[in-house]
Amino acid sequence: MSAFELSASTKPHAERASSVASALRELARQPRVWVGGLILLGATALAVFAPWIAPHDPLDQDLLHMLAPPMWARDGSSSYPLGTDGLGRCVLSRAIYGARVALTVAIAAAWGSMLLGSTLALVGGYFGGIVDRLISYVVDLWMSFPPVVLSLILLVGLGTGVDKVILAVVLVDWTRFCRVVRADVLVTRRRDFVLAAQLIGFSHWRTMLREVLPAVVPLMITLFSIEMGIAIVVEATLSFIGLSVPPEITTWGQMLADARNDMQSAVWVLLTPVACIIVTVLACNLLGDGVRVALDPRLRQRVG
Amino acid sequence: MLAIDNLSLSTRIGGQHIDLLRNLSVSLGRGRVLGLVGESGAGKSMIGRIIAGHTPSRFEVTKGRVLFDDTDLLALDRKAWRALLGRRIAFIPQEPLTALNPVLTIGQTFEEHLAHLGIAPNERRALMLQQLDAVHLPKPDDMLHRYPHELSGGQCQRVLIAMAFVANPALIVADEPTTALDVVSQVNVLRLLAEQRRQHDTAMLLITHDLRLAAHVCDDIAVLYAGEQVEYGPAREVLRRSRHPYTWALDQATPDVHGPQRRLSALGGQMPGISALGSMAGCRFASRCPQRLAACEAAPPASIESAPGHWVRCLKPRDVASNSANSACESVAATWQAPGGNASATPLIELRDATLCYTARRGLLGQRKVRNFAVEGLSLKVQPGEFVGIVGESGSGKSSVAKLIVGAEELTGGALLIEGQNRALAGAEVRRLNREHVQMIFQDPHSALNPRRSVYRLLTQAYEADRPAAAMTKRRRAGRAQELLGDVGLPKDTLARFPSQLSGGQKQRVNIGRALCVMPRLIVADEIVSGLDVSVQAQILNLLLELGRRHGIALVLISHDLSVVRYLCSRVVVMQRGKMVEQGKTDEVFSDPQHAYTRLLLSSVPPADPSVAWPPAAGTSH
Repeated sequence: MSAFELSASTKPHAERASSVASALRELARQPRVWVGGLILLGATALAVFAPWIAPHDPLDQDLLHMLAPPMWARDGSSSYPLGTDGLGRCVLSRAIYGARVALTVAIAAAWGSMLLGSTLALVGGYFGGIVDRLISYVVDLWMSFPPVVLSLILLVGLGTGVDKVILAVVLVDWTRFCRVVRADVLVTRRRDFVLAAQLIGFSHWRTMLREVLPAVVPLMITLFSIEMGIAIVVEATLSFIGLSVPPEITTWGQMLADARNDMQSAVWVLLTPVACIIVTVLACNLLGDGVRVALDPRLRQRVG
Repeated sequence: MLAIDNLSLSTRIGGQHIDLLRNLSVSLGRGRVLGLVGESGAGKSMIGRIIAGHTPSRFEVTKGRVLFDDTDLLALDRKAWRALLGRRIAFIPQEPLTALNPVLTIGQTFEEHLAHLGIAPNERRALMLQQLDAVHLPKPDDMLHRYPHELSGGQCQRVLIAMAFVANPALIVADEPTTALDVVSQVNVLRLLAEQRRQHDTAMLLITHDLRLAAHVCDDIAVLYAGEQVEYGPAREVLRRSRHPYTWALDQATPDVHGPQRRLSALGGQMPGISALGSMAGCRFASRCPQRLAACEAAPPASIESAPGHWVRCLKPRDVASNSANSACESVAATWQAPGGNASATPLIELRDATLCYTARRGLLGQRKVRNFAVEGLSLKVQPGEFVGIVGESGSGKSSVAKLIVGAEELTGGALLIEGQNRALAGAEVRRLNREHVQMIFQDPHSALNPRRSVYRLLTQAYEADRPAAAMTKRRRAGRAQELLGDVGLPKDTLARFPSQLSGGQKQRVNIGRALCVMPRLIVADEIVSGLDVSVQAQILNLLLELGRRHGIALVLISHDLSVVRYLCSRVVVMQRGKMVEQGKTDEVFSDPQHAYTRLLLSSVPPADPSVAWPPAAGTSH
C-alpha cells in the first residue's frame, strides 16, 4: 500500500476517547437512532403510565356509544378521542393498553432470543469442531420449520398467556441470532489478538468474554432492535387468531380481530391498531438500522 | 516518450489546500525503465493512478502536464484517453490474485481483454496460447481453463504480464509488481519483465518501495518522500552517490545479505501524514533530517543538478566523498554482534523430529484421507539468549514452526521440550507456566491488537489472566506499563490511545511490549517487520537487538527476508516444503551455503552494490 492514508488518528477529537464513548457519539450522530429511539421511548412511556394517560378503562363497555366516530368527525365526542369499537370500548385507551403487551413481548422475547442464540453462537464459534457442528445442525433443523407453524404448534402445546407468547417467540427466533452472531464470532476468532490472549494465559472463558464478546456486541444490539419489531408482529399475528392472550388483556392483534366485523362502517377502529403496529415496528427497524450504521466501522467510514 | 512535467496533485482538507504531490518532473525514454521509489505514503501509487485517469475523488491535478508521445494526457477527453489504456499504456497491478476475477477462468479473463483490444474471435485463442507460452507458463492450453486460485501468485502475475504485453504497448506501468511474491518468484518475474520489455521495446514505469531492487532493474530512479521528488538521476548514481539525506538514510536502513555487517542507522519518527503536509512550508523531510538547517523549514528547496542528469532537492546535499567512507557506521559495527547465547545451558526449547501434519478428508463421505505435512522431521534447539532465524518461502512451514513452539498447534509427531521437560507429558500447571517462557509477536500488528483495548490495557493484558486479579494493584500495573513503554520506545501519552490511533510501527512496538510484559525467556516473532517500511523496520530491528541485550531474551525470528535474519540472528535454519534443508551459524551459511536452495534464496536478494548484475541469469545460482 503506498496510497495516502486518511487515518483516524489525525482527528483531534479521537484523542483519549474510550471506545464506548466514541460509539455513543457515533450513535448520537445518526438521525435514524434519534427518530426510532424517541418513538420507542414515547411508546414505552405510554405503556408504563397507561392507567393515568388512558381516558377510559380498556374493557369498559359503553353500549350507548357503540362505534362512535373519532372526535374530529361530525358526530364525534371529546370523551372518546378515537371513537369506540363495536362493544363501545374506547379505541384510544385500548391502543394505549395494547402497547403494554406489545412492548413487553418485544423486549422480553428479543432479550431471550438474544441470550439463547448468542450464547450458543459464542460457544460454537469459539470452540469450533464437534460443538460447533452440533449447534449448527440444530439451527439448520430448527430453521427448516416454517416459523409461523412452529409458533402455532408451540402455543397450542403451551397454552395462552403473555409469558407463553414470549417463550414461543424466543424458541422460534433464537436461530436468527445464532446464525448471524456465529459468523461474526468465527471472523473475530481468527484475529491474532484472540490467539495472543490465549498465549498470555487467558482461560477460554476469559478470552471468550473479554476478547470475542465485545467484538460482536454491536451486532447483537442491532439484531436486538430488529428482533423487537419482529416480536411485535408475531405477537399481533398470534393474538389476531386468538392464540396469544386471554380476552381480558388488550392487545393490538385482538383489536384488529374485533374490528374486522365493522370494517365497512367504522374503519377507524381498524386503522388505529394498524397504525400502532406500523409505527412501532418502523421505529424498531429505524433504530436497528441506525445502530448498525453507527457501530459498523466499515459503514461509518463510507458515511463519514 | 513519457514526460511528467512539474506535476502537482492537490486536495482540500478542512478548507486547507494541500499539495499531495508537489512539482514532480520525470521523463522516460523509449525502451527505458524509470523507478519511482518511496515508502508507503510517499504518493508514488498516485502517479500510476493519474496516468490511468483514476485519480481518487477529492483529489485533482492543479498544475503540470503528463506528456505521452507529446500529447498531454490531462488535456485529452476521456474517450481518447481510455483508447490509449490497455493498447499503448498497460498496467501490471500489485496484487496478482485480486486483479484476476476469481469466478472467471484465465482464458475467459484473457479473452475479455482481447475483445476490448478489438481482436477477432477466431484469432484470440492462438494469440493467448502464444502469449502464455512467451511468459513461460507450463501447458498454456491447460492454463486457459484454470481459475486464479489454482495458480500461485507468481503464475498469476505471469498471466497479467502476458495480458499487459499482448497489445505491444509503448509503456508499462508496474505498481509494486513483485511485492506480494516470494523472493524466488520475484526474481523470476523481474527476469521475465526484462525479457518481454526487450522483445517489445517497451518502456516501464516501476513503482516500488525497494531502493536496491530499483537500482538494479531501472535506468533512472526518482525518490519520493511525502509527495516530493527529493532525488532523481541515473539508477546507479542515486544508490552509490546518494545526494539527498533521505535516499542515503533509506539505503543505510536496509540490511545487507553480503559484505561486512554494519549497524543499521534508523531514521527517527515517521513520514508526515497527508493532513500534516498542509502546515509544512519548507522541505517535507526537514523534521527527520539529521543535517537540517534553519532555512530548510522556511521554503521548499529548489531542485539542483548536482551532476549531469542527477537532480537533488536539498539545500545542503550530502558530500559524495563521505558516502564511500562510511566512517560513522564502521565505528558502531565494532561494538555490535548478533546475540549468540549460552551454548552450554539447557536449551530453552528443543524440537526433536517434530512433525505437524494436517489430515483432510476427501470424497463424498470423507473416506479418503489426504495427509499434508506442514512440518516434517524438524529438529531445532534454542539456547537462552540466542537469536535464531528461520527462513524460507511462503508454504515452507516456517509459520507452523512458530505455532508449534508457542503451543498454538499440537505436534502430530516427535517431541517438544521446554527446558528439558516434554510439554506433551507435562501437567497443566507446567503448560500454564509456559507463557513465562515463550511469548509470540505476530505478523500483522493490526490484527494482533484488540481494537477495543487501550495501549495501557494491551501492554499489561497479561496481568488480567492471573486468577486473583485483585492481587495486581492498579499502581503496580500502571508502573509496569510505564516501564514497558520505555522498553519499546513509545512516548508516554500513548498509554491512553487505541490501536487505531497508532501508526504501523507504533502498533508493532505495542505488540512487542505486550509480549515482554511477563518477561518471557523466549520470543517467537513471525514476520514482524514484513509489513513495515524500511526506515521503521530498521527501528524495530534495533529495538529487538537492544531488548535482547538488556534482558537476555532469546528470539526465534521467522522471516522470508534473508537480510533481516542475517542482521539479527547468530544461527539460521533454512526450510523448504516443511523440511529443514540447512542449519548453521549465520555467517557460515551466508558466506558458504551448502544447499542449492539456500544458494537460490541468497541470489534472489538484490545486492547492495549496484554494479553487480542482478537479477541473475536463469539457471545459474550465485
